[in-house]
Amino acid sequence: MPEQPYEPERAVAGTGMGGQMDLAASEATTVEEAPGGPSGGPSGGPEGTGPREKARSLWSDAWHDLRRNPVFLGSALVILFLVVIAVRPSLIASGNPLQCDLARAQDGSRSGHPFGFDGQGCDVYTRTVHGARTSVTVGVLATLGVALLGSVLGGLAGFFGGVWDAVLSRITDIFFAIPVVLGGLVLLSVVTSNTVWPVIGFMVLLGWPQISRIARGSVITAKQHDYVQAARALGASDARLLLRHIAPNAVAPVIVVATIALGTYISLEATLSYLGVGLKPPTVSWGIDISAASPYIRNAPHALLWPSGALAITVLAFIMLGDAVRDALDPKLR
Amino acid sequence: MAEPILRVSGLVKHYPLTRGILFKKQVGAVKAVDGVDFRLDRGETLGIVGESGCGKSTVAKLLVSLERPTAGTIHYKGEDITSLSGKALKAVRRNIQMVFQDPYTSLNPRMTVGDIVGEPFDIHPEAAPKGDRRGRVRDLLDVVGLNPEYVNRYPHQFSGGQRQRIGIARGLALRPEIIVADEPVSALDVSVQAQVVNLMERLQAEFDLSYVFIAHDLSIVRHISDRVGVMYLGRIVETGTETEIYDHPTHPYTQALLSAVPVPDPQAREHRERIILAGDVPSPTNIPSGCRFRTRCFKARERCAVQVPALAVPAEFRSTSGPAAHESACHFAEDRTNQA
Amino acid sequence: MLLEVRDLHVEFHTRDGVAHAVNGVDYGVEAGETLAVLGESGSGKSVTAQAIMGILDMPPGRITAGEVLFKGQDLLKLKEKDRRRIRGAELAMIFQDALSALNPVLTVGDQLGEMFTVHRGMSRRDARARAVELMDRVRIPGAKERAGQYPHQFSGGMRQRIMIAMAMALEPALIIADEPTTALDVTVQAQVMDLLAELQREYRMGLVLITHDLGVVADVADRIAVMYAGRIVESAPVHDLYKAPAHPYTRGLLNSVPRLDRKGRELDAIKGLPPSLLHIPSGCPFHPRCPMVQDVCRTDVPPLYDVTESDADRGSACHFWRECLRG
Repeated sequence: MPEQPYEPERAVAGTGMGGQMDLAASEATTVEEAPGGPSGGPSGGPEGTGPREKARSLWSDAWHDLRRNPVFLGSALVILFLVVIAVRPSLIASGNPLQCDLARAQDGSRSGHPFGFDGQGCDVYTRTVHGARTSVTVGVLATLGVALLGSVLGGLAGFFGGVWDAVLSRITDIFFAIPVVLGGLVLLSVVTSNTVWPVIGFMVLLGWPQISRIARGSVITAKQHDYVQAARALGASDARLLLRHIAPNAVAPVIVVATIALGTYISLEATLSYLGVGLKPPTVSWGIDISAASPYIRNAPHALLWPSGALAITVLAFIMLGDAVRDALDPKLR
Repeated sequence: MAEPILRVSGLVKHYPLTRGILFKKQVGAVKAVDGVDFRLDRGETLGIVGESGCGKSTVAKLLVSLERPTAGTIHYKGEDITSLSGKALKAVRRNIQMVFQDPYTSLNPRMTVGDIVGEPFDIHPEAAPKGDRRGRVRDLLDVVGLNPEYVNRYPHQFSGGQRQRIGIARGLALRPEIIVADEPVSALDVSVQAQVVNLMERLQAEFDLSYVFIAHDLSIVRHISDRVGVMYLGRIVETGTETEIYDHPTHPYTQALLSAVPVPDPQAREHRERIILAGDVPSPTNIPSGCRFRTRCFKARERCAVQVPALAVPAEFRSTSGPAAHESACHFAEDRTNQA
Repeated sequence: MLLEVRDLHVEFHTRDGVAHAVNGVDYGVEAGETLAVLGESGSGKSVTAQAIMGILDMPPGRITAGEVLFKGQDLLKLKEKDRRRIRGAELAMIFQDALSALNPVLTVGDQLGEMFTVHRGMSRRDARARAVELMDRVRIPGAKERAGQYPHQFSGGMRQRIMIAMAMALEPALIIADEPTTALDVTVQAQVMDLLAELQREYRMGLVLITHDLGVVADVADRIAVMYAGRIVESAPVHDLYKAPAHPYTRGLLNSVPRLDRKGRELDAIKGLPPSLLHIPSGCPFHPRCPMVQDVCRTDVPPLYDVTESDADRGSACHFWRECLRG
């Protein structure tokens, strides 16, 4: 681009307010907001972006942050490992968790059985590894159910408002008033099924109001932004407003809370199983093992410590993952 | 007189104040817009000025059908659009578009610039054949002075002025006849404001647009407007051509407003006569009786508390054809000539 | 000189690198004088004020060089305890957003009174009486009753008066007002500016008025310092600057304001964008936007030249200030 010659101009309060403003030059001034300026130099992207030349969405910005966050990397590694052994426990534990030998009850660790044996003579290592499958299944399915139900109900209530919203808010209030453990004891004690489904169903039933509240709040916030108004002024349908404009901007808090909740569902499963209303043998679960080992805590603490440790690490990993994701997604904390 | 492109009469928007959770009881109303009339002719710019809370932003939302009026009509080319819905409303929306104040919240942060500017074509597929859209978006970016190569960037990679250009490109996409701009430059830096004002003026000539330009900055409104309406507490209190309002204001509120604007000329400060109004704007839930400006007016008399002044050419100027003969809602209108 | 800032440098460490917010700012204020610091967002005008007040967030901010002399004493060398004693009592600040600058859970009377109990060791009773007196002084109607109200019960203009009252409470020698009327409506803005100017005259305070509004500056300032990309680009008495700016940026700003005689024509906008503080252009930071740019501007950083063609004490950081002055 050629240099603009220096055009002497009149001073502001000067007398000759003539109109000899160079039209071509003034045209150039309007169109030249493009970065890089008149020299067309390599100074790159728009203001503030500097070295970041490539187009980046907020999600890829978040990923950029996460990749460098040791908390995220640590917890993600733990979770990845858990998922792998949940799918294929035989990869690291070839034994059968249900094959027990009473003769070895409460024995300590020995070659081939690093964690020792529990009160029934079962191998603690094998059972701990196989227990991951139950915990991860319950946690993931309960979270999916809660997130879907909660965000659809909460999102619609937040978007449409009015009576819908008032009714849903009162219902969530009622659910919040139910004590989780007591509710579990009452509701699950009447169930005789031996599968994970009643436990998952119970968690979804009690968990959705939490997500629904968050989804409702963030939809209401997103709804008020001018870009939603702008799309509405263009004639966009409600479905388009919700799916294209509101949902992508409201989903972050739901993801964060759901990730943290996943950890708490795993520990809730253990709690319920410990209390005898959750999963029941022969299902292999950390909660059942903790429950079974607690009477022998003096003689065989290892039978209690290994499944408890696995549980604690798993729950912690999900909570820390949730924290890391929140930090990455919330631009205000930057 | 030819039919104006937009005619607004008796426009009212009250927001009810309610109590109760499930069973709501109305306990009052925020009278955001309380009887507004104006017209907009083809190709002209109507400026609406007023302080915060005067209802000017609500007027903008009513014009683009983002809100439904409590009463009154908006005639677009002779057709009342306030009762339209569905397809008919969507068709009208193609012709009346809006530019928003805050360039930071008016663009969806999860969408690329290309998607934002191209969205009007997704919503109105008849406006552009599918294969043509990419090219249209690039043309639009070019028209508003942005590099068309930026289609894949996200809004947060742009400065305020550039974002406002993106918002203008989106508003322009469907080739509307009317653009309602609600404080389009007030969030921008001084040196960038002028660029955006110039752009809007250039586009008006190029695309034969009619503007409703809403702002609190009196000097920018004067620069861009052909006619001006001054709003106070939900009503237009004075309206006329740009010269009539700025050089011969007859309503005391307009006079005070104009005298309060700081002028970028230190010579002026010694011999400037300023009207400093007392107090604050009353709440729109509790509008004073009679003339709504009387509580702050330096001319208020008994009559002002009793009788609502109509927006009309004041009797004393009706016979004259001078610049003071324009509509002003004051019982005691007086010409206060401003020589700038 | 009441306050003198010398060669101040402030930088911020961000995700994307080091942002050079203030790059060698010099300015001074005499007692009873109003200095307007004019600049757009990102020009460093507010950061300079925060550094003077000692309320800069560190980290991410860092003062890398410079002195802030207040009554001859370098504030940057003082211990935090000593600075705190000066802050509020001798050096006060008024913020743009009065609602967030006031504590929402304390009554206005308590907050004003606190100034006297903390700094002057007055009893609560006396402090309350002084608070009401102050509210009267800034012309808040019904001061006695309103002292018991909370900040959200006041309108924007009234809150800004309370901020002014709080700043004035201990009769400081200098007030820094950061965009004090930007959030207010025109008619209220005029009330508040009038009040501020009147109080300043009465107490012979120094006033640093930070603003982006050329109109407000013309109304109240004695001197102007124009900032761009963390530097002072022009400094002059207000009349001289508006009559004939000696820096192309100042001239561009003045020309971009709509004026009567330009109705119907394009505004003379400054082309381009303010620079990113992460990548300040080489040489003169204004050169990519400057209509009179020469080769030397791209390589040599212009110092603040003395504008010798005028009697007044003024400076311009433009290699071609003579040409600029002549228009």
